[in-house]
Amino acid sequence: MIGKEKLFAKLEDVLAQSKADQTEIVFIGSESALTRYANSHIHQNVSENNSKIYFRSVVGKRVGVASTNSLAAADLKKTLADSYTIAGTQPENPHFPGLPKPAKYKKLVTFSETTAGTTPRDRAGIVKKIISHASKKKFTMAGSLSNSTDEIAVLNSLGVRAYQPVTVASVNMIAMSDTSSGYAAGTARDITEIDFDALAARAVEKCNRSQNPGEIKPGDYEVILEPPAVSEMLEWLNYVSFNSKPYLQGTSFLSGKIGKKLTSNQITVYDHALDDKSLAFPFDFEGVPKKKVVILDKGVAKGVVYDRAMALKDKTKSTGHALTPDNAAEGALAFNLFMAPGKVKREKMITGMKKGILVTRFHYLNGYIDPRNSVLTGMTRDGTFLVENGEIVGGLKNLRFTDSFLRAFDSVVAISKEVERHASWWSAVGCMTIPTVHLGSFRFSGKTDF
Amino acid sequence: MKDKLKECIAWLSGKGVDYADCRFVRRERESLQVTDSLVDSFSRDLNTGVGIRVLANGAWGFAATAIVTPGELKKTAAKALQIAKASAMTKYEPVRLAEQEAFVDHYRSDCKKDPFAVGTDDKIDLLVKITGELKKSKKIKTAEASMVFYKTNKLFVSTEGAEIEQDIIESGGGFYAVAFKAGEAQKRSYPNSFGGDFATRGYEFIEELKFLDHTERVREEAIALLDAAPCPGKETTIIISAPQMALQVHESCGHPTELDRVLGTEISLAGGSFMTLEKLNKLKYGSDIVNITADATTAGGLGTFGYDDEGVKAQRTPLVKKGLFVGYLTSRETAPIIKQRSNGTMRADGWNRLPIIRMTNINLEPGDWEVKDLIADTKDGIFFDLNKSWSIDDKRLNFQFGVEAAWEIKNGVLGRMFKNATYTGITPEFWNSCDAVCNKKHWHVWGVPNCGKGEPMQVMHVAHGAAPARFRNIKVGVNK
Repeated sequence: MIGKEKLFAKLEDVLAQSKADQTEIVFIGSESALTRYANSHIHQNVSENNSKIYFRSVVGKRVGVASTNSLAAADLKKTLADSYTIAGTQPENPHFPGLPKPAKYKKLVTFSETTAGTTPRDRAGIVKKIISHASKKKFTMAGSLSNSTDEIAVLNSLGVRAYQPVTVASVNMIAMSDTSSGYAAGTARDITEIDFDALAARAVEKCNRSQNPGEIKPGDYEVILEPPAVSEMLEWLNYVSFNSKPYLQGTSFLSGKIGKKLTSNQITVYDHALDDKSLAFPFDFEGVPKKKVVILDKGVAKGVVYDRAMALKDKTKSTGHALTPDNAAEGALAFNLFMAPGKVKREKMITGMKKGILVTRFHYLNGYIDPRNSVLTGMTRDGTFLVENGEIVGGLKNLRFTDSFLRAFDSVVAISKEVERHASWWSAVGCMTIPTVHLGSFRFSGKTDF
Repeated sequence: MKDKLKECIAWLSGKGVDYADCRFVRRERESLQVTDSLVDSFSRDLNTGVGIRVLANGAWGFAATAIVTPGELKKTAAKALQIAKASAMTKYEPVRLAEQEAFVDHYRSDCKKDPFAVGTDDKIDLLVKITGELKKSKKIKTAEASMVFYKTNKLFVSTEGAEIEQDIIESGGGFYAVAFKAGEAQKRSYPNSFGGDFATRGYEFIEELKFLDHTERVREEAIALLDAAPCPGKETTIIISAPQMALQVHESCGHPTELDRVLGTEISLAGGSFMTLEKLNKLKYGSDIVNITADATTAGGLGTFGYDDEGVKAQRTPLVKKGLFVGYLTSRETAPIIKQRSNGTMRADGWNRLPIIRMTNINLEPGDWEVKDLIADTKDGIFFDLNKSWSIDDKRLNFQFGVEAAWEIKNGVLGRMFKNATYTGITPEFWNSCDAVCNKKHWHVWGVPNCGKGEPMQVMHVAHGAAPARFRNIKVGVNK
C-alpha cells in the first residue's frame, strides 16, 4: 500500500508536467496472493506486487493512451509524454466527450486489515481445513483461495481526485469423488466473513449426493438454477447486452426494446455499486460516481450502463461504468449486478418441485450464438441433480443447455429470499449478488458422458 | 539485468532450495482500433518485472515484483521461499523434476519489418480506409478494424545454470462489419473473428493479409446474412473452414492433451480431461487421416518460441498419429509421471504469472484434398465458416460451436446461406467421423491470442495449423 497522500503527491507532480489540453491518470496498485490446491494438496502458490498507471492525454478532440507498470519518476514522465505524442498522431474524434469534472463520491468501507494481512501460512491453514472436510468422506478437494489489496485512483487536470483502497478475499472449492463433484464458492471484502467450513460442507454434500449419476434425456424441464448458475448467465448478458456498446450497435437483446416487457414480472436485474451487499465501489475508471442502473424492472426493459463516450453517442449521461482507458473501446460494463430476491425459501423451491433438474453451476457458457435473442449455451457442472416429488433423488450426468434467457426467464415459478455473492473476473470492484431461481421451462439440447 | 537475476539465484542456492528460476520479462504492446473511420482507441503499454519460482521442501512457491532493484528482488526471492514452505504444509509427495539440459542461448523470432517502427499514420490510414470501405452500404451499422503488436524481451536464469534470452515480436489484426435491419443484426469478419489473425512476425504479416482486398466480400456477406434462412436442425455432412478448424483443434484436442488438466490440477477453473493416462497409445481419437502435432517450431506461428519458461527447448511432438492418441503436452514436473522428459510447453503470460502447461502450435496436419474437389464430392451438407460461439464441457467431450456464416451444399455445389448456424458433437465420435482434410495449399497457421487458463487468469498466445476438413453425420442447427 502506498497510501492516498503519498500516491497523490507523486501523481500530481507528473500531472503538472502535462502539455495536453486535458490529462487523466488512472492508477491501479495491487498486492495479491493466491493459493491453489488440487488432489487435496497445494500445488500452486503465488504472490504478486504490481501497479498499472494509465495516462490519457487529450489534445483538442484527439486522445492518446499510454501505460506502464513502473512508478519510477522517469518512467511516469516518459509514459505521459508517450500519451501526448500518440494523441498528436491522430485525427480528431468529434465524439470524444472530454474528461469529467470533479464530483463527490459516496464514502464506503471497502478495506479489511485482516484480509490485507492474510499470510501464505494463514491461507495454507484454511486450505488444510477445507481439505479435511473432503478427506472425511474419502473425497479429494480442488480449488483456490486468494486475498488481495488494491488501491485505485483517478486524477484529471479538471480536478477529479478519486481514491479508494479495497481488499477482496475469494475462495472456490470442488469436492471430487470417482464419479461426481460438488462446488461451493464465496467472496467478501473481509476474509472473516467467509464461512469456509460451511462452504466446504456444502461442496462435500453435493459431491456425495451426486455419486454414480444417472442419465436423463435432453429436453424441456423445470429447473432450479442456484446462484452460481444464474451469475454465469448474467455475466455473459452483461457483456453482450447490458453494455451500451452492443446496445447502440443493435446486437443487444435490449436494443430498441426499452419500455417493453421481455421476461416474467418476477425478474428485476440492476447494477448498484453503492450497495454494500455487493463488493461496493464508489466510482468508475473515468472518476464518474457510480449510479444505480435498472436493466430489467419486473420484466420490463429499462436501460443499459454507459461510460462518457457511449453516453454522448446516445445523448444521455454516463452512469459511471467506464472501463480502464486501454479497454475503453469495449464500451461499459456493470460490475455490481443484482437480481432482486423473491419471497420463497430455497428449500421450499425443492419441496415444491414435482419433477425437474437442480443445477449448481454452468461451465463454458457462451452468449454469442444469437445475442439479439439472448441465446446462451453451456454445460452443467459440479452438482446436477434430479428432483422428484419435492426431493433430490440423485445426481445426473451433465447436460448442455441452449436456450434464450428471455424465453426461459419468462417462465419463472419462484425466486429465493436468500441471495449469494459470487466473484467475477472484475472482483476488486464488484461481484454478482444473486438468488436461486426456479424456472418452469428450460431447454437442454445435449448431454455428456459424466 | 542478467547479473541481478544471477545474484538472486545465488542467494536462493545458498538457502538450500531444491531448485529455483528467475524470469525477467519486458513487454511492449501497441494497440489501435478504428470504429466507423474514427480512432476509438490507440494505446501503448510497457510492462516489466521479475517472477521467481522456488522449489523447497518438495513444494512450490512463486513471487513476482514490478520493482527490479537488487533489494526488492532479494525480498521477493525470500517471499517465494516462504510461500514454498507454506505450500509444503499440505504436500503429500515431493515434486520431482525431469532431467533438463541447462541451455545458454539467445533466441530471436523472425521479423522483417519492426511494427513499432512503422509510422502511426500508415497504420491509422489503413484502418480508417477499411472501415470506410465496409460502411459503403447504409445497411452496415458498425465497422471496426484493429491491430495489436507486441515486443517481448525475456531472460531466464536457473539454479541448474540455464541462461536464456529471447526476443519475440508478434503482430496481428483484423476487421468486422455489423449489418443491421429491424430486429436483426449480423456480423462478418476477416481474416478471423475476435481480432483477426496473429503471428510471431513483423508488420510484413499485416501487409500480407491484404485487408482491403476483402472488405467488399465481408460487407456484402454481412448484409446477405440479414435475409439468410436459419440453419436447419438435422444430422448431416459438414465441411468446416480452416479458421473454424483451428478452434475445433484448440478446444477438442489442444486443451484435453494438457497433462496438468489430465492430472487434475486445473480442476478449479478449466476442468479436467477425458484423455486420461490409461488411454495413451490406446484411444482411437480420430479416423486414420487425423494427425495432430504440437509444434513450437512452426515458422511464424503465434505459439512459436525458442525455449519455454522452464528453459526447455522448443520441439515438435505428435499428439494424434493416424487417429491414435499418442502424446500429451508436458512440463518438467508432469513428464516423469508418464516416464518422459518435458516436451517444452510451460509458459507464463508475463513475469507476474507462474508458468503452466500451454498449447504451442497445435496443428492438424494437412491431407490430400483440394477444397473445390471436397465440395464437389459432397452430395448433401453444410459448409461452416468463422467462429461466432464456442462451448465445451469440463472434460472436453461435448462441444457446440456457432459460426458467422454457413452455406448449404447440394450435389457438390455451395448454395443458399444460413445464419446463426451451429454444430455439436462428442469429441472422439466427431474426429472419428472425419473423412477428408484439405492439402497444404489450403493450410494456414491461425494465431489465437486469447486462450484463457489458470488462476490467477493467464491469457496465452497459441496457434493452430489447419485446413478445411469434412465430417459425417454431425448434428447441426441447435440454437434455441
